[in-house]
Amino acid sequence: MAAPMELSCWGGDWGLPSLHPESLTVMAYAKFSGAPLTVNTISNSWRAPKGDVPVLISEDIVISQPAKILNFLRKQKYNADYELSAKQGADTLAYIALLEEKLLPALLHTFWVEAENYCSVTKPWFASRIAFPLSLYLPGKMSREALNRILLTRGGPPPYSLTEVEAQIYRDAKECLNLLSKRLGTSQFFFGHTPTTLDAFVFGFLAPIYKVCFPRVQLQEHLKQLPNLCRFCDDILTCYFRLTVSGHSPSGQDTADANLQKLTQLVNKESNLIEKMDDNLRKSPQHPPRKLTTLKLAAGGEEGSPLNRLSP
Amino acid sequence: IHLLSTAAEPWPENAALYQQLKEEQILLSDNASSLAVQAFLQMCNLPIQVVCRANAEYMSPSGKLPFIHVGNQVVSELGPIVQFVKAKGHSLSDGLDEVQKAEMKAYMELVNNMLLTAELYLQWCDDVTVEEITHPRYGSPYPWPLNRILSYQKQWEVRRKMKAIGWAGKTLEQVLEDVDQCCQALSQRLGTQPYFFNKQPTELDALVFGHLFTILTTQLTTDELSEKVKNYSNLTAFCRRIEQQYFEGHDKDSSATVAARSAKRSLLR
Repeated sequence: MAAPMELSCWGGDWGLPSLHPESLTVMAYAKFSGAPLTVNTISNSWRAPKGDVPVLISEDIVISQPAKILNFLRKQKYNADYELSAKQGADTLAYIALLEEKLLPALLHTFWVEAENYCSVTKPWFASRIAFPLSLYLPGKMSREALNRILLTRGGPPPYSLTEVEAQIYRDAKECLNLLSKRLGTSQFFFGHTPTTLDAFVFGFLAPIYKVCFPRVQLQEHLKQLPNLCRFCDDILTCYFRLTVSGHSPSGQDTADANLQKLTQLVNKESNLIEKMDDNLRKSPQHPPRKLTTLKLAAGGEEGSPLNRLSP
Repeated sequence: IHLLSTAAEPWPENAALYQQLKEEQILLSDNASSLAVQAFLQMCNLPIQVVCRANAEYMSPSGKLPFIHVGNQVVSELGPIVQFVKAKGHSLSDGLDEVQKAEMKAYMELVNNMLLTAELYLQWCDDVTVEEITHPRYGSPYPWPLNRILSYQKQWEVRRKMKAIGWAGKTLEQVLEDVDQCCQALSQRLGTQPYFFNKQPTELDALVFGHLFTILTTQLTTDELSEKVKNYSNLTAFCRRIEQQYFEGHDKDSSATVAARSAKRSLLR
């Protein structure tokens, strides 16, 4: 039972532990159920992400999809759902299906297909976290897969056209958000006071929409009109991920300090350079005679300065 | 759909529902979808005639079946049909509150996400079923080689979709597991009630009936799929109840009564 478990997934930004909905779902579930996971965010090293992300590695077992990872955690007795009734368990499955069918296409579209968003935010972010040659290829591949999924599941008969599909998927996503908001109502989590699998999935899908700053944000604006869902995301972030709403985590503070130090050093160097330049200017022979008295005085203040030669 | 003009016209007598040929061509998933729409319209008390055409799939505006032809409007798939019928003033879910409506929509997505996808998987990705049932049936109205070309084309399309949503890597056992999970969820939600939202049937009941009844009464290469559903007695009772209430004694064209005669043999086994 105490086998160490490692989760390999995409990292985070904008106050989130991860930008990737599925990674976020698994991380949230691990926090809710108290599973001791070491999280390795994929970074700019040669350990390229193999296949599906997130990936759970425990001794020799490698598991890749969120549903399977959650099943594995439950079998290891890290179960966030043990207080749920059978009917609530059924509701969980149904709402997860609703999220996948109605919300996921619009989420994929906002991140990977909408041209402005993709080029200015998503692609640079992911490319900066993948090692060099792969960073030219992998974001493009993820974008193509997202487009493919949207068209195959929602597109009409060929030739598939994106514009008609776009309007429909955003309508569906907004309806889905409204339904979730009505279902959540005023309670803290979907099934009472403790978070469960459903909360993990909803959080995983909603938090990226809520927090990531995109140029085109129609889904985010709609979400912000549903205050109970925003409060739900913020609560989970503050309680379970110990991040303030503005997003400074403890490790973030350290990097800020290090940056400050570097900056101070740079400023000191700059001021030294400026002093030297000042010296050179005063030593220069082109100054008019009336300045000599001032120079003399200044020369008197400086030690061992060659200005002494210029004294009248 | 232009809702203003839709609401103005009452439901005509000659409304028709188009599907593929019942005996030779139609497949499990299309039969389920068609039956769901028929059940829904029966529950709304709207008369509909079932018309079978070999090229129904190509006539449909979205490429999916079934579709209905009402007045001069053509609407396909259960979701849009429910909205269309609502615009005409008939609705089964008006009595539900907001939370219940959210639940209903979520369960309908569960059925689409798991049951329908599992049916498609079984028909097009399981080699045994594809060889023995799907290929012969799908292209049967057409001469060789068109029948083979059409069915290979459709198979390629479905397999692409399965790959995009991550089902291509699943084995048949895993798919049946998913079906079992879905049926368990439906069974737990239904409990001992007559319908999912107690006294009155809704579009969710129609959808669930369409899929479960078809699974229970269709002869496939193995019985594993129908066995999964039969494990839950309240689901089989539910199907029988809806069949008795809405399909017996109605017009002979209804595919449910034809299937019902063969069903009686299998359900009462």
